[in-house]
Amino acid sequence: MNRVQRLLIASTFSATLVVAVPVSADIAVVVNAGSGIDRLTQSDVVNIFMGRYRKLPTGNVALPVDSTTLKARFYRALVNKNLAEINSYWARLVFSGEASPPQQIATIDDVHQLVTQNMNALSYVDGAQVSDDMHVVLMLSE
Amino acid sequence: MRRLLPVCLGLMLSVTSVVAEARPLTDDGRLTFSGFGTLGLVHSNQGDAGFIRDISQPKGADKGWSARNDWLLGAQVGYRFTDELDAVVQGISRYGQDGNYRPEVSWAFLRYRPDPSVQLRVGRLGWDVYQLADSRYVGYAYPWARPPVDHFGILQLTHIDGGDVTFKQPVGSDLLLLKLYAGRSSSKIYLIDDLSADFDVDSVYGGHVDYETGPWRFRTSYTEVHSDVGFSGSVADQIEQIPFLALDADTVLGDIFGFDRIRLFSLGTLYDRGPLQVQVMWNRSQTSRHEGQIDSGFVSVGYRIDRVTPYVVASRVETSSTNPDNSDIDQRTWSLGARYDVTTNMALKAQFDRIDTRSPGFLWRQDDSDWNGGWSSVFSLGLDFIF
Repeated sequence: MNRVQRLLIASTFSATLVVAVPVSADIAVVVNAGSGIDRLTQSDVVNIFMGRYRKLPTGNVALPVDSTTLKARFYRALVNKNLAEINSYWARLVFSGEASPPQQIATIDDVHQLVTQNMNALSYVDGAQVSDDMHVVLMLSE
Repeated sequence: MRRLLPVCLGLMLSVTSVVAEARPLTDDGRLTFSGFGTLGLVHSNQGDAGFIRDISQPKGADKGWSARNDWLLGAQVGYRFTDELDAVVQGISRYGQDGNYRPEVSWAFLRYRPDPSVQLRVGRLGWDVYQLADSRYVGYAYPWARPPVDHFGILQLTHIDGGDVTFKQPVGSDLLLLKLYAGRSSSKIYLIDDLSADFDVDSVYGGHVDYETGPWRFRTSYTEVHSDVGFSGSVADQIEQIPFLALDADTVLGDIFGFDRIRLFSLGTLYDRGPLQVQVMWNRSQTSRHEGQIDSGFVSVGYRIDRVTPYVVASRVETSSTNPDNSDIDQRTWSLGARYDVTTNMALKAQFDRIDTRSPGFLWRQDDSDWNGGWSSVFSLGLDFIF
């Protein structure tokens, strides 16, 4: 195998990886590593993010946080709905005065900061970007 | 309408955010502002009577195009005192009981949530008499051009001044919810031509139990409405002018309609899974005279394909009593339509209704009082938005 062949194989391999990452990457639902929450079921996460029931297994009130950059992928994976449907769902609850949507946060850094500072915060990151100070309570496959 | 148009267009142009979250007005995020609205056009082929959205509307859409019945604009201001306590005030401008678009305060309440399992609200609240009833003016929240008229158009109240309490209890991964409410209210509805009923509601109370499991949400509810009902219009005047009898129109008409005490029983199911949405509801209202009953219900099925959600609806309303008269309603409606999500805060809708009116009662406004029903075709176009 000559140098050119090796280069081609290597670049094909890395190209495959680059292409494969968004396809195989999951979304990790994360909490503070010290929150004491081990796992949540998908219906727990639906209840918290859709405003149906926001109590954590620790007994505290959950503080769900939407990451606006990842929001479309998250709700697609969680409830198979697009953002128009999610907004439509919240329009009903907000304008009947029944519930409030999760806090909206724009950057991944801010999501990271909030989760690592607040024991009751719950958000989501790309499965490949989970840091040590976060704990994954549920993986959603896309 | 001419005054409302620039306001709506101005607000729509200012809509830049694509999230449903209320936008903060202060740096600390405690004060928030949000709103909703509908620009709607109706085309009716019915030349003998005017199509209405609900019985609070004194005039309907006559033959041809009309922009009267579905236009509305709502705005909400919220203030968070603490994580447990907040206040909400919401106003709405729509064509309602006064025959104009004068804005009214639809809600104004304090909300206290000491725990995710309990919520208390005190003040002016939406009348949550059955599923979707307290969000029936928020067009962006549902697929239809308007909620099925046969079922939602007959509702007597929009709000109550009082309080409610909601308890939530998880059952495995399911959720059980109990809501109880009580208060007072007032409203005006239009009956047959030139006759309206003013409801002075001394007490309205009730509650419901919801059970949510996976994509299913079931509700059963019960409500009582106790009112002093006054009647006005030329029919009421004529009754009082009958010589020698010295009749009181409120007593005579009160005996006919029996609105002083209304009891409502409802069942509802929502199925919402991914692109599929199914809604089935049924209600029976009992009035206090002549064993009067108003039965209504509908079935709606919608399926989203990318940005388009086609849907079909079948609805029906029928009144019965031991003393039938020309105020009785018997109507079925078939609707076919589609919602197109232009952006994540704006949707275009088109809907076609075939309405089989066997007895119009007070669901149509009649210029020609001889009209006693028939088939009508109503085509609706709407733009719904939130901001």
